[in-house]
Amino acid sequence: MRHIFAFLSTHRLRFTLNGSPRSLEVRADRRLIDVLRDDLGCTGTKEGCSIGVCGACSVLVAGELLSACLLPAVFVDGRDVTTVEGLAQGDELSPLQDAFIREGGFQCGICTPGQLIAATALLAEHPRPSDDEIRGWMMGNLCRCTGYHGITRAIKAAVA
Amino acid sequence: MKLSHTALVRAPRARVWKLVTDVPAAARCVPGVAAVTPSGTGKYKGSLLVQLGPVRLVLDGDVALTATDEAAGKASVRADAKDSRLGGTVRATMDLALVDRGEDTELRITSDVQIAGRIGEFGQPVIQRKADQLMTQFAECLARTLA
Amino acid sequence: MTYDYHEPETVAAALDLLARYGEDAHFVAGATAFTLLWRQGLLRPGHVIGLRRIAALGGITSAGGALAIGATVTHRAIERSAEVAGYCPALTRTFASVATVRVRNQATLGGNLAHADPAQDPPPMLIALGAEVVAKSAAGERTIPLDELFVDVFTTSLRADEILTSVRCPALAKGTRATYLKFLPRTADDYATVSVAATLRFAEDRRVAGVRVALGGCGPTPLRARSVEAALQGAWPDPRRIADAAARIDADIAPFDDVRGSAAYKRDMARVWTERALTELVS
Repeated sequence: MRHIFAFLSTHRLRFTLNGSPRSLEVRADRRLIDVLRDDLGCTGTKEGCSIGVCGACSVLVAGELLSACLLPAVFVDGRDVTTVEGLAQGDELSPLQDAFIREGGFQCGICTPGQLIAATALLAEHPRPSDDEIRGWMMGNLCRCTGYHGITRAIKAAVA
Repeated sequence: MKLSHTALVRAPRARVWKLVTDVPAAARCVPGVAAVTPSGTGKYKGSLLVQLGPVRLVLDGDVALTATDEAAGKASVRADAKDSRLGGTVRATMDLALVDRGEDTELRITSDVQIAGRIGEFGQPVIQRKADQLMTQFAECLARTLA
Repeated sequence: MTYDYHEPETVAAALDLLARYGEDAHFVAGATAFTLLWRQGLLRPGHVIGLRRIAALGGITSAGGALAIGATVTHRAIERSAEVAGYCPALTRTFASVATVRVRNQATLGGNLAHADPAQDPPPMLIALGAEVVAKSAAGERTIPLDELFVDVFTTSLRADEILTSVRCPALAKGTRATYLKFLPRTADDYATVSVAATLRFAEDRRVAGVRVALGGCGPTPLRARSVEAALQGAWPDPRRIADAAARIDADIAPFDDVRGSAAYKRDMARVWTERALTELVS
């Protein structure tokens, strides 16, 4: 899908969100997080720091882990976007989500969508990650509650 | 933010005094200054263009000579400016002191600069560095003008 | 408050747009720095020109031992590139040390260099490798050595009518060793407080035949440590010699106080980490 953006301050954005095709007009300066939360009602992705540091807004675009708070919405045109709402299959949670529950990978839950998305991307790239690989990858997702051990345990348990 | 700069100007004190207390003339030595026009007794309106990386600031404001003591070689200048595009203000008080050094004059400028609003997003180190650069260039230009 | 967003497909089309909109235009590739500056209200261009779709600005190629990386290549792509690893593993490690995997997936080489934050990781390593940048304008093309690209904080020597199109790293002489050390006393995803990149090779008699040292976080731009280099060039690099050379770093750097450390602390650390980098290279 190729779109020619010519002299426009709004653009027609066509992309797939958690498997469903979406189409909407967006202002050029809108970020993906604005579109997800405000335009599409997908509030699972959280805005924490707004500067790409905390990881609460982690999303997958064409399988790549990105900060939705730093990404111009127009950049996802023609792409597949996955948010936390897309991890479960209907009522069935993903093995990772299950593991987070069993292993105490969250408390208040505000960082959890980002943790799950980041961990999903980690496991896609490293199906059997070492402790170092987990820590190195997940380093960019901050958590104020758990102290991180529950998160690491959950990721390991998900692939055990 | 407090800054201080010193320059040796190769001209007698009286000449240096004349230049630094002539606001429009001295303003020509500030890099990025456009248009300085009188707006009252000892008061002037002016515009200063400052570039910080990709960010362009256009500071519009007032400059006034608030105190002069020729015998003591001291003068004070007050500048109030704002960038209406970005939304931020700069307020600066500069105290100038001229000291005889034989046939030359030592010019000391002590400034107190307050930044408010968007401009402050740059953080003190970058702003301080830019202010330092402007003041150094100002002092060097004064020295060249009077040489 | 918004802007017109353009995505030209060729460098020529991008330069056309730049000519048309001049100061009111701003280039983006990954748009990480731009998004932050826009939201802070510090940048207000009427036209943003996205370079992502320009094929000529992408790609990593190696030929004859030299390496060329397009301006829109992401940090992550560089980190994972077999060509880059084959050229210089320290360069791979340099890109891998930038921020987090999310930032590396989005931020590009060209954007990094054009942003010119003096604490960034890639510039000192590229300087130590003797790399140069290719800049294109309507008038033609020119190359800028990396150690002449950075002029001041957030300021490069790129002209207003130029696009940074690629970075070229020269073929490295046989036996060249390289390292990048990043001193991160705060968090693992931060910019360096001080970083040291160095390349070195020995002559037959084990004297230093060539050495390049560059530092990040030690001044308004990444800085070449010429005094350190001069102290080592042609010498047998025993520990005493290395310590002496590292101590000369003071003459080459101009650190200032900021959130990552005081100027005095950075001077100390510059010496310590320069010594560590050199020690690593000669062992």
